[in-house]
Amino acid sequence: MDVTAKTDFIGKDSPAASERPAIFTRPTTKTGIVSWLTTVDHKRIGLLYGVSALIFFLVGGAEALLIRLQLAVPNNTLLSSHAYNEMFTMHATTMIFLAIMPLSAAFFNYIMPLQIGARDVAFPRLNGFAYWLFLAGAIILNVGWFIKSGVPDVGWFGYAPLTSKAFSNTFATDISTDLWVMGLQVLGVSSVIGSLNFIVTIINLRAPGMTMMRLPVFTWMTLFTAFMIVLSFPAITIALVGLMMDRQFGANFFEVSNGGLPILWQHLFWVFGHPEVYILILPAMGIISEVLPCFSRKPLFGYPIVVFSGAVIGTLGFGVWSHHMFTTGMGTMATAAFALATMAIAVPTGVKIFNWIGTIWGGQLQMRTPMMFALGFVWTFMIGGFSGVMHAAAPADAQQQDSYFVVAHFHYVLIGGSLFALLAGIHYWFPLIFGRKVSEFWGKLSFWIIFIGFNVTFFPMHFLGLNGMPRRTFTYDGNMGWNSANLIATIGAIILGIGIAVYFVTMVYTYYKGQRVGRDPWNARTLEWSIQNPPPEYNFAVIPTVHARDAFWYEKHHQAEIAEEQAAHAKAEEAHGGIHMPSQSWFPFLTAMAILTGSLFFADHNFLGAICAAVGIVAFAYLWAWEGPGGYHLHLDKDGNVIDPKKGGHSTH
Amino acid sequence: MTFPSFLRLPARRACQALAVACLPLFTGGWIYGPQSTFQTEGPVAKAQLDLFYVTLWVCTIIFIVVGSVLAYATLKFKANDNDPEREPPEQSHGNPLVEISLIGASIMALVIIAVPTVHGIWYSYDVPEAEKANAYEVNATGYQWWFKFEYPKEQIDGSGNLLTANELVIPAGRPVRVNLRTIDVIHSFWVPKLAGKVDMIPNRGNFLWLQADNPGYFWGQCAEYCGESHAVMRFRVIALSESDFNAWLANQKNPARKAGSLFAGAIDQPRIQFASYTYEKQKRNAPGWSEAFDQQPFAAWKKQQEITVDDNLELVAQGRKLFQEKTCVGCHTIRGHEGIGITGPDLTHVGARTTIAGGLLENTPQNLHRWLVEPNEVKPGNKMWFGGYMARNDAGQWTPTFTINDNEARALVAYLHSLK
Repeated sequence: MDVTAKTDFIGKDSPAASERPAIFTRPTTKTGIVSWLTTVDHKRIGLLYGVSALIFFLVGGAEALLIRLQLAVPNNTLLSSHAYNEMFTMHATTMIFLAIMPLSAAFFNYIMPLQIGARDVAFPRLNGFAYWLFLAGAIILNVGWFIKSGVPDVGWFGYAPLTSKAFSNTFATDISTDLWVMGLQVLGVSSVIGSLNFIVTIINLRAPGMTMMRLPVFTWMTLFTAFMIVLSFPAITIALVGLMMDRQFGANFFEVSNGGLPILWQHLFWVFGHPEVYILILPAMGIISEVLPCFSRKPLFGYPIVVFSGAVIGTLGFGVWSHHMFTTGMGTMATAAFALATMAIAVPTGVKIFNWIGTIWGGQLQMRTPMMFALGFVWTFMIGGFSGVMHAAAPADAQQQDSYFVVAHFHYVLIGGSLFALLAGIHYWFPLIFGRKVSEFWGKLSFWIIFIGFNVTFFPMHFLGLNGMPRRTFTYDGNMGWNSANLIATIGAIILGIGIAVYFVTMVYTYYKGQRVGRDPWNARTLEWSIQNPPPEYNFAVIPTVHARDAFWYEKHHQAEIAEEQAAHAKAEEAHGGIHMPSQSWFPFLTAMAILTGSLFFADHNFLGAICAAVGIVAFAYLWAWEGPGGYHLHLDKDGNVIDPKKGGHSTH
Repeated sequence: MTFPSFLRLPARRACQALAVACLPLFTGGWIYGPQSTFQTEGPVAKAQLDLFYVTLWVCTIIFIVVGSVLAYATLKFKANDNDPEREPPEQSHGNPLVEISLIGASIMALVIIAVPTVHGIWYSYDVPEAEKANAYEVNATGYQWWFKFEYPKEQIDGSGNLLTANELVIPAGRPVRVNLRTIDVIHSFWVPKLAGKVDMIPNRGNFLWLQADNPGYFWGQCAEYCGESHAVMRFRVIALSESDFNAWLANQKNPARKAGSLFAGAIDQPRIQFASYTYEKQKRNAPGWSEAFDQQPFAAWKKQQEITVDDNLELVAQGRKLFQEKTCVGCHTIRGHEGIGITGPDLTHVGARTTIAGGLLENTPQNLHRWLVEPNEVKPGNKMWFGGYMARNDAGQWTPTFTINDNEARALVAYLHSLK
């Protein structure tokens, strides 16, 4: 596939700026707030995702600390039951939809195009739209903090009929559940749009020679995750639309008094909800599969099997949803089928762990901070995996379901799994993104505090659950044998909080004052490290040609051959008109803001406002279509600096 | 490790607290308690625990093996220098034989878990065929936030089935099939020592079976998030020997006890002018249990069945009158007395229960007083109270209408406690 041959027809028919109506003037500023609002650069969008996700991560963490403080001692009165219920609802919703998923999306956006040798994603404006929609959904979910209704308190799973008007709301005018419904729908649209973009990008924009079986594993996991999002979010969207109809227009999808079926909600929710678990963990597995080979100085052990097991997890992940419903009285046959399917999914997951161990076996392990987080991931993810297998034994699960044992299990998977990997990823790619390297001392210190705090918090919860403590309870009596484990968990949560604080303070410090590093500080193996840091707007001065699986490792060991090849390609690309870049646009941002306004009006039962906003959505979408894809060409001088055609001079990067 | 001086005391305190808190781990304190799944008292919970142990052992062994390899590899292949010029290790890409054998081994390990799992699914689903004839049947219905228990085999002339609330009394040594229903949202019926949970789902006919091998007193709790007071939606199961159970049934079928005549004027032997307890306002969420009860709950339950002789008949009569005036009768049934409502728990024999407020508080005069005076502090969001007790106004709408003062509460306590 010759990417260079394609670049000349994209944007060829865009008329010159002077011939177009003023409304279609594309912003060209590269600094300041407008440049961020109108950006289509996948790296900038990735940063927006990352920073937003980290802010929401801190919000969700604060909610978690309040939960743990309330449960530190029996019969505590720090939070009222209503406030506690709001906290655990928002903690879960925030961490899943506003922290872990967008943090993964940040890496998809930033790293994946670089790993496949692309200059941007396939649909740059759509990419911006996905981010602004994510922000809109996050605002809708959190707007409750500032209004009388408060934030949602129905649990992140929103089981019907607790979400119906008759039960969830103390006040007739309480719109917290409506905000939850609208917020999740908007987030779903954002995720699906982003994922379609990633799928098209990975399939179509790979550099020459980057065959599918040469894709870095992180890119593979991006692809699987994107497919899972595209296939699973429709299920929850259907459920949410039904609930929205129930609440807004008196429909009866889940309205028990009219014959609605609450169990239908559970099936629809978990058809989404279980793939969602893998949506959270597959990107993490991808990051681990990048970090371990890099710091072992060896290729990934059993690459095809790791990729294939990712595919198997992605597929089987759609067939095990009812293990969240073992106690709903599904009957023997369905329970047995889902129990066995759940056990089966342990095989591809175990295979990944074997392959990671195989990767470090015989390597030269460099114990840098990302490696520490990656090894910590393998340990804690193993424990989370084993408690997962215990849940698959359905009769035993009847005791564990909705107890603290489950809380322990999924925090081992989501913190010890997803979060550790994402923290490893931030550490690993920080030098690439910002050109500065994080201090090893502070990095390792934060790792150990986080690792210890995490285990002290969540290991005792296994005992709590088996000792009969149910989840989602704002208080407990002192005579149940739960006091000491709860106190220890709270102490652990404070330690974990300190560790996270150390981690982020270190990152912020490094961003401003950290030690500058040159290209490829880790001696890494994949293409994103072949470019200068921070990466220039156009990513690759010359689209690389890929000859082997660890493309950059190959380049480093065949430098003469690669230099010759790149010179030829640079010439060819210049002959085609230079480096083609997408134009910035206002419309993704404006359309998303219209959707935000409309959703807020709709949640507040203000249909006139919602209709006005809908007109805005349609108008902006049309203008977006009419404005055309746009695009312009860049020309580089010998040092890789952009030649500014107006000034004839150089703008530096 | 030294702390800065201003941190030394808090740090030492934290270490001490941690040490004290860890201590019970070594004495079983972390796995034994009223709702422990490790102290099983019946065959269903036992089967579930046995299966848990199978999964635990299989997983522990694999964890030790895989963990050892991982630890060994980490230590053995750790590079002592970070010299980038150093010759990289052999760039090996994998080993199909190793992969296939590990996949095979994983599948074998899972089969060890899968076989007893499938067996357990069928066993724990319903009462075994051979025992069906011997099984006793009860209906449990979840309400926000209490449980109604119904005995379909025990008919009361003119009043339908025998009803009780929050304390399910069952015969010991017999399988009991519990039909699970809900009146509002999803709840879940969980008595950890007897059986795992099954949800109560609207428009769905769920059930479970359990059996208490011996007479005893067991803790249960709603295990599905069901709204504001989910955490304090609790209940008890009391298993009795066949003869005790029949005696209990006979007493329960009786209409509510009449402690004296209805009107104060007709009281022939007023003994105590004021109820003999002192009441102090409690903190929100304050616990409602005495040490004595915790240690001998079953004995406490038996004692609760006894009729106390020191009824203050004047207060009881006052309380019965207040029970009507305050419109309690609209939601609570007191069979044989005035109460006819069905939206709240049946209180016909409430004095003989060990718990009130949905298994939340021990049924002492002080606790009942507290529950009556400030129900929202005990059970936030409960359906009696919305800034005041709810009653219908002239337009037929439910509005917060009144509160109960100390003197009224004393009378109501005397009345309700006379209902053995």
